[in-house]
Amino acid sequence: MWLPFLGLLLGLALGLLTDIQIPVVYENYLSIAVLAALDTIFGGIRANLQQVYDDKVFLSGFFFNIALAAGLAFLGVHLGVDLYLAAIFAFGVRLFQNIAVIRRILITKWEERHIKKGENTV
Amino acid sequence: MNKRIVIRITIVSFIVGLMIAVQYNTIQNPAERDTRDLWEIRQELSEEKKRHSELLSEIVSLKSIVNEYENDDKDNQAQILKNTVEDLKIRAGLEAVSGPGVILKIEPAMELVALGLEVESIPPDLLIRLVNEIYRYHGIYIEIDGQRLVHTSAIRDINGKTTINGFAINKSNVEIRVITESYEKAEKLYGYLYASTFSDDFYLDNLHLIINKPVTKLTIQEYDGKLSNTFLVENNKGE
Repeated sequence: MWLPFLGLLLGLALGLLTDIQIPVVYENYLSIAVLAALDTIFGGIRANLQQVYDDKVFLSGFFFNIALAAGLAFLGVHLGVDLYLAAIFAFGVRLFQNIAVIRRILITKWEERHIKKGENTV
Repeated sequence: MNKRIVIRITIVSFIVGLMIAVQYNTIQNPAERDTRDLWEIRQELSEEKKRHSELLSEIVSLKSIVNEYENDDKDNQAQILKNTVEDLKIRAGLEAVSGPGVILKIEPAMELVALGLEVESIPPDLLIRLVNEIYRYHGIYIEIDGQRLVHTSAIRDINGKTTINGFAINKSNVEIRVITESYEKAEKLYGYLYASTFSDDFYLDNLHLIINKPVTKLTIQEYDGKLSNTFLVENNKGE
């Protein structure tokens, strides 16, 4: 479970140390892409905990979501409508839902273990 | 958890971390764009060049002093030391100096006085601004109404009277004497003051600022107060 966190920290360290920057114009796209990627990760973790994880769904979701979000933002900029808000809203809601599901599953697992322990000692 | 899945999620979280870091970098320190055009850059370059040449000439003069110290015999060294002390005294304002410069006069605006407006003392803020601008345009020594300005001089309002070095200056008819390094610099200062808005600023306070043509020689009296020195102590040993 700690390996993904290590990966996250490694990515953060690499990004901060190399001081890579993108033009300010593309800032919006990147922020949406970050949100989409986070959504994919938590979706993947949830799917894994529910034992419905699928490699294809996970990887295609990662790239497709990012592309779709950036595309929506791009379209929004050119149409003069803040379409990226739609992406932010959708991903935000899903993020919370996924995290809530993960939390419930973990709590259930923890309780089950607790009960088992109690039965063993009695 | 399946090992393969963990590796996949790790790779994706690595990418996410990288993206977050890049976003953070972009928002925290946006790259400043250089929007100067060729002429602005040339102007800045010319200012730096001016500074460069000033520093070089200072180095040359200091080097010549060092050379004098090193080469001459004992008797002469005392003379050089005296010269240096004299020079420092002049710069600190303890000696009278003369040289090319500009004389400014501040008088009450008669037409406004005739209208019944009262003449008030010269506002210290305006005087401070004038002095700062004079120093900026190569004025070296300044005397206002007989008061020599030194590094500790304060121009301020005491009980409604404008004072310099603690002495009240005249309400009107104040003479400001400025000495510059050369006549050319005096002309430059004159030109600048003439083109500046100071005349209008003084007129707002019912005063006329008269800027006279530069002169080749004028004298400024020494500072008659005592300069306090908190950092250096006289050393009587070996005398």
